[in-house]
Amino acid sequence: MIHFDQVSKRYEGGHEALSSVSLHIEKGEMVFLTGHSGAGKSTMLKLITRIEKPSSGQLRVNGQLLNRLRAYQVPHFRRHLGIVHQDHQLLMDQTVFDNVALPLIIAGEHPNDVTRRVRAALDKVGLLKREKYQPIQLSGGEQQRVGIARAVVKKPAILLADEPTGNLDPALSKDIMRLFAEFNRVGTTVLIASHDLGLIARLNYRVVSLQEGRLLTTPFSGAAS
Amino acid sequence: MTAQSARKATNRRRVTGESNRSAWLRHHKDSALSSLMRLVRNPVSSALTWLVIAIALTLPTLFYLALSSLQQQTEQWQEGGQITLYLRSEVSQDQGERLTGELDERPEVLRAYYISADEAWTSFRETLTLSSDSLNLEGNPLPASIVVIPTQQNSSQLEALRLIIDGLPEVEDVQLDLAWIDRLNRFLELISSLVTGLAILLGIAVLLVVGNTIRLAIESRKEEIRIIKLLGATEAFVRRPFVYLGIWYGLLGGLAAWLLVSLLAWWLHAPLGAFLSTYGLSADIAWLGPRESLVLVGSAIGVSLLGARIALWRHLRDAEPR
Repeated sequence: MIHFDQVSKRYEGGHEALSSVSLHIEKGEMVFLTGHSGAGKSTMLKLITRIEKPSSGQLRVNGQLLNRLRAYQVPHFRRHLGIVHQDHQLLMDQTVFDNVALPLIIAGEHPNDVTRRVRAALDKVGLLKREKYQPIQLSGGEQQRVGIARAVVKKPAILLADEPTGNLDPALSKDIMRLFAEFNRVGTTVLIASHDLGLIARLNYRVVSLQEGRLLTTPFSGAAS
Repeated sequence: MTAQSARKATNRRRVTGESNRSAWLRHHKDSALSSLMRLVRNPVSSALTWLVIAIALTLPTLFYLALSSLQQQTEQWQEGGQITLYLRSEVSQDQGERLTGELDERPEVLRAYYISADEAWTSFRETLTLSSDSLNLEGNPLPASIVVIPTQQNSSQLEALRLIIDGLPEVEDVQLDLAWIDRLNRFLELISSLVTGLAILLGIAVLLVVGNTIRLAIESRKEEIRIIKLLGATEAFVRRPFVYLGIWYGLLGGLAAWLLVSLLAWWLHAPLGAFLSTYGLSADIAWLGPRESLVLVGSAIGVSLLGARIALWRHLRDAEPR
């Protein structure tokens, strides 16, 4: 589902954020990406979401070779991804419902389907009663769950999360991770960047570590266990 | 692939095609509405923009109205334009009448008539009823004349007719009281170029004002643009609300300009009429006709739309997701 093949990323000014990284994540896997800040986690996520382009190597996501993806193809490619941000990136002037509905509106879904699917997603994260609220009226954990509902409302093939528990206390963090595990159980490929090693260690999933732009673990899932 | 499954695939494509189109229409409607709501929710700041548009458009439109009503007036004045040919004293009445007939048949001449020396003398004496007795003139000092009314009133054609008349041997002197018409026409041409120049200049001002307003709108929603781009929004999807914002500004500005022009025309009508009546003229109140109103509002929308497109083209690239 996500295939890094000798991928490097150099930024202008010569800083190499990733050095020939090879990583293969199969369909239906759930993987944690760890490493200190500046190790290249964010760069990997930016490459997968096609915010950045690889400087060298091949990157294939959801069957698409991102090196060759044209600008006009990027929006349609991104519609197959669900992205959860550390600061949840909600639209503060819109209701919870409208925020979660965004990916469906963008994809041009019919309003009837939008309502049904937004309610289903909010129900899954336990916020159905909050649909008319503004994000500012919610707690940090609730806001993060709205962000997750928005990421999964379109049933994406791949769910990406960048430090999803970064601002939450341990109990809330565990809840959030349980949510990701649930989505993974129904077949979604999940990749979570996190430096919360204590939390990750208690969960039994594949862990990939980055250090100074290099992968410390082997690229295939079979060899890790 | 069997024929049946092929047909199914075609049907599926058609269904998605239709739903794409209706989704596209729906987003146009949603964008138009949400942009309008943004204007309504910020009445003061949006009014600043569409009022500037309105004022910028009012000025050239008002000039245009004044010009077109002036042109109507001068058309009436020019109908009185005539050329008087004073004939040499040795030209007989027969020769004079023959020449009048010849002139009358020319295509550039609407009408020509002969005034004999006696007729001129009689009418001259009639106009001087009181003092005519005290005038002690011996004989008739007035020459016979031909009055020519040209069909064409435009200055170059009048000039051509004048050249023909100047060449006639029977004519002593030509009184062509058309120099002022020529001068007036040139003056109107000057004013009309001035109006065009002003309209272009103020059109550019509208372009800049709308461009700047849209730029600020993009700036204030940069975060939102970044987020929806990450959720898979196309460029067109991102642009659409701003394009409609430009359209609404243009529409409101155009309608406000129309109202301002009408109010000013109504307000200026009385003093203008009073001024013109001192020249024995009457001023018809000049309104914008339906076609002119449409052009005014339409060009307001067109120019704002262009301003919005330029701002989007220049500033949307800065809002790439990070």
